[in-house]
Amino acid sequence: MAYSEKVIDHYENPRNVGSLPKDDVNVGTGLVGAPECGDVMKLQVKVNPATGVIDDAKFKTFGCGSAIASSSLATEWLKGKSVDEALAIKNTDIVNELSLPPVKIHCSVLAEDAIKAAIADYKKKQGTTMSAAEKAQPTVQTI
Amino acid sequence: MSSPATLQVCRECGGGAPVDVHFCPQCSKILTLGRHGDYFAFLGLPRKLGIDAEDLEQRFRGLSRQFHPDYFYNATPAERRASLERSSYLNDAYRTLKQPMTRIEYLLQVEGLAPTSPQEASRQVPPALLEEVFALNEELDEIRDLRAGGAPPEIWKSRLERARGPIETKRVAHEAKLQELSARWDALVDSGASVGDRRAANEALEALRDRFLERNYITNLLAGIERELSQ
Repeated sequence: MAYSEKVIDHYENPRNVGSLPKDDVNVGTGLVGAPECGDVMKLQVKVNPATGVIDDAKFKTFGCGSAIASSSLATEWLKGKSVDEALAIKNTDIVNELSLPPVKIHCSVLAEDAIKAAIADYKKKQGTTMSAAEKAQPTVQTI
Repeated sequence: MSSPATLQVCRECGGGAPVDVHFCPQCSKILTLGRHGDYFAFLGLPRKLGIDAEDLEQRFRGLSRQFHPDYFYNATPAERRASLERSSYLNDAYRTLKQPMTRIEYLLQVEGLAPTSPQEASRQVPPALLEEVFALNEELDEIRDLRAGGAPPEIWKSRLERARGPIETKRVAHEAKLQELSARWDALVDSGASVGDRRAANEALEALRDRFLERNYITNLLAGIERELSQ
């Protein structure tokens, strides 16, 4: 099976490899895996608290060329998008952009899953910081 | 799940035959591979994961001889085709059931427990395992960089060995767990509960599937470490 030129480009020059501080409340981390091939993919987004726009995105993927290219492309697309726009990215968009063959479609599914997991983690963090602050108040009063 | 077919019809004499026999009980002609059971039934085995390798081999050889196309050289085109079809199905059945891992995968499939989509499969793997696999992959990456940077073997080799320790322990524990769950399933088959008590059966199969999905992560990692060590 031959990889498309775009896959090879992303594989040889992956964009945005690395990681963001996991404990930052404005960072969402998604870690997903594909059991049928044993690939693991970590994708992170950093949301600007003032604008709600994704400022930065990083990934690290241990897997085949298509999995690396799918996550690399995903981080490129995520930058500058709002959280809701990010959730609208579909695996089929990645398939089309990279001309992935049918046997590699699950790599694009993995990337979509990673985006959703990262956003879900971000939203969860935003939720918990709120409730932690709310919970803190009555404790202060009792002291 | 629909109930499995129990009867097939002989195209030669029109007589009925159980789904897991290969030759018509009435006219003794080889049966066309139309309606048939699964690989287990085809080989005359219960749907159990504990399979004696020697017994399987003997069943395979016995049937191979019975179906061999050479014996149907002068038979009707329908019989010749049936002999080819049964030979080919037999080869697939033997290959699948011979290896414990493909055997589990096949059982899950015929029991309707195979994951339906990659997303679903992905969700069934515990996040803690993914974390661990990711961290070990990163460690392996660092060791490769160290090695590429010209670090002496005693440095990177000992780090590789250290990385191998926990994952090897995991592999052993994983294998033991799969064996335990396989035995649990087999006990359900023996007691008739695999058919009679679908709730218990599904519980056992789901536990087996969830563990089974973890194996590629573990084997890939170990393969990566072995590759580094052997170079």
